[in-house]
Amino acid sequence: MDLDVVEPFFTLRPIKRELEARGLQVVARERHTLGLGETGVPLPAEAKWALRREGDVILDVGYGAYGAQTLNLVEGADRHPDLQVLAVINVARPMTATVEDVVAHVRELGRVDGLINNTHLGEETTVELVQEGARLVTAAARLLGLPVVATSVVKELAPLLGGRDVMGNPVRVLERFMPRAFW
Amino acid sequence: MPAKPKPVEGEKKVFMTGNEVVAWAAAAAGAECMYGYPITPQNEIMHYWTRLAPKFGLIFLQTEDELAAGFTMLGGVLAGRKSFTATAGPGNTLMQEPLSMAEMMRLPAVVVIQQRGGPSTGQVVYSQQEVTLTSLGGNGEGLRVVYSTSSHQDLYDYTIKAFNTAWRYRFPTFVLGDGYQGKMREPVVMYDPELRGVELVPAEPYVGRPGTPGVDRPPAHLRNAYSIEEELYEAVMELVREYEKVAPEIVEHEAFGVDGARVVAVAHGVVFRAVKGVVRELRQQGVPVGYFRPITLRPFPADALRRVAATGVRLLVVESAYGQLARLVKEALSGLPAEVHGLYKPGVLVGQGEIATRIKTLVQGG
Amino acid sequence: MKGVQIQPAMPRSWRPETKPHKFCPGCGHGIVLKALGEAIDELEIQDRVVFGCDIGCSLLAWDFFNVDTVQTHHGRTTPVMVGMKRANPELIVVAYMGDGGGYAIGTQHLVNAATRNDRITVILVNNTQYGMTGGQMAPTTLPGQKTETTPFGRDPELTGYPIQGPEMVASITRDGAYVARGTVAKPRQLKGFIKRALQNQMAGRGFSFVEALSTCPTNWRTNAEDTWKFIEKEMTKYFKVGEVKVPPELARGKGEREDG
Repeated sequence: MDLDVVEPFFTLRPIKRELEARGLQVVARERHTLGLGETGVPLPAEAKWALRREGDVILDVGYGAYGAQTLNLVEGADRHPDLQVLAVINVARPMTATVEDVVAHVRELGRVDGLINNTHLGEETTVELVQEGARLVTAAARLLGLPVVATSVVKELAPLLGGRDVMGNPVRVLERFMPRAFW
Repeated sequence: MPAKPKPVEGEKKVFMTGNEVVAWAAAAAGAECMYGYPITPQNEIMHYWTRLAPKFGLIFLQTEDELAAGFTMLGGVLAGRKSFTATAGPGNTLMQEPLSMAEMMRLPAVVVIQQRGGPSTGQVVYSQQEVTLTSLGGNGEGLRVVYSTSSHQDLYDYTIKAFNTAWRYRFPTFVLGDGYQGKMREPVVMYDPELRGVELVPAEPYVGRPGTPGVDRPPAHLRNAYSIEEELYEAVMELVREYEKVAPEIVEHEAFGVDGARVVAVAHGVVFRAVKGVVRELRQQGVPVGYFRPITLRPFPADALRRVAATGVRLLVVESAYGQLARLVKEALSGLPAEVHGLYKPGVLVGQGEIATRIKTLVQGG
Repeated sequence: MKGVQIQPAMPRSWRPETKPHKFCPGCGHGIVLKALGEAIDELEIQDRVVFGCDIGCSLLAWDFFNVDTVQTHHGRTTPVMVGMKRANPELIVVAYMGDGGGYAIGTQHLVNAATRNDRITVILVNNTQYGMTGGQMAPTTLPGQKTETTPFGRDPELTGYPIQGPEMVASITRDGAYVARGTVAKPRQLKGFIKRALQNQMAGRGFSFVEALSTCPTNWRTNAEDTWKFIEKEMTKYFKVGEVKVPPELARGKGEREDG
């Protein structure tokens, strides 16, 4: 579910149909209701009641000065026993490039239960970079007292990484749909 | 007083959105003041600037509108600090007010434009429809410098260059991007410009210099109004002479495969990325095509394009607007018997398939 | 109950085909527009009203009513409606906008229309930030409030205190003007204010202005409980609810004064 209300630029929306064909229900505005001249920030009504759905619910919170507080927009999210708030960290982004920056960033988010190392440079990602991210994120996680839930990597690089990264975190393989979004 | 930390040290390959790139590049160029007003799709430049501000001692004010953003920026410039603003669409229309003043008074304003669909509110996503406005806006002669970027690396490099160009030559200088560039994420190399031998032209104040005016130094008496036509004529001719003198130092373009080409595609910004891909592929198939990319839309690389057109090649202008780039092309080629065709898609990306089909038709004489 | 058709409780002047509306869950615009719709119904002016909306979330109301509507540019709704009213005084014009459209980019138009005593009705929705563009600071942002352009909280030293719009309008207008501040937390009272602001225009008396305190849980990132707490307890510390200026003739008239 696309909860990115600051930069709602179409992260999930263009590939909505494709994800739906694979059995995922996508809660996001369709293109034709976007804008009328502006970004189409308005949240669809179903967003509020997303947790009433069966099965796993994934909320893409995006960024913003409020961090995890965005979850307040989903009824019951903060109280739900199964809720896991995971901070996705890409060490190749300048605002979260050092251990200190990652720690400061995560602390500002509010409730966070775990980190995901998603360090990459898009098409120019190398295994070395992913591993460097793993080291950095794990060091930050230790200072924060949080687990590193996984290191994510695109399926093209996965064979070079194996089942665990250099710090022993489990590796989750990503199959990218995003190039078929706008970027 | 301890030296402020440098926003970008060394050199590093990073991953971020175009708007974030602009904020970092401006800081790396020594910009100290940003003034702005929210308008999609450039808001994130402000969002990132306000987060960088406390770390690097930067100044920011969200003004009441774009008129104020432009004029407060000019105030910053007059006070001797590198200042900039960013806007789009209807905000760009409003920006012509302060920018006319900058043109008349030779003030080194730097403005980043992330084009969106127009006219009026249009759509907030993307277009190349602010070419005319950015290149030739205001109630003057359009004495401006406009850099059209087509990648995040361009956004970084040319935002830094924009400050140097503005403060060296003293004409309002623009970085012309678009909503897709602003929001896309791709790798970019951030670097400390001085480490790469890029000299940062220093800012200097127009007002408030040391000493008592009229006693220790002449007062600064800055104006943009004249009493009689002849007076203004002299002033404008002086501006024009200066602009034309420095234009050859500023103008930039890139071209490929134009020798022996039957068709040359002309494009800028992200549309150029598509054109580049198509041209390279077609050439591998043996089709005689080339591309011409103006990097500065103002001053326009007319001499270089005239040399290409003089060979009798057919030109195809590809843009996400209805002939705005083509207008600049035709003006540059006036007097030559050049054939200028257009593939115009106002407000939408032009697909590679479409570009290829059109080029092939033109090659075959269609 | 035989033969009763259950209709949603919707003002007649609303356009059913464009409902459910596009505003976020919990957005105050729906309540303000309902108050306006009811006022139009009670005054029976659906055939004379022209509704103008600005840029921002107010633009989502462009097809909201069965009333002629024009969506303008940011901050320019006031002058468009002024021009319209001067060309055809029979129309009852409503200029609808947010904090940016009235108190930032549109301030000069607001001040000048008020000073000229233009016979228009301005309804300004105040939710302390710019919603549609992703939550930037507004002139109405509270001190210490986090927004995307005040990520560390609004510092009054740098950017001043929240603007007192109705108070300013009241002080620069003369006797024929009507000025009030309502809140979506008291919808019946808000409707009463809006109705008076329309009646004042119908009587040709003067400039009529209603600011409506409103909610934006999306950009405030608040759940229902915190949303109401913010509008009822926090916003009212800076924005006083009530009528600020009432022409004596209007006060003497049969206008409803409900404190619901």
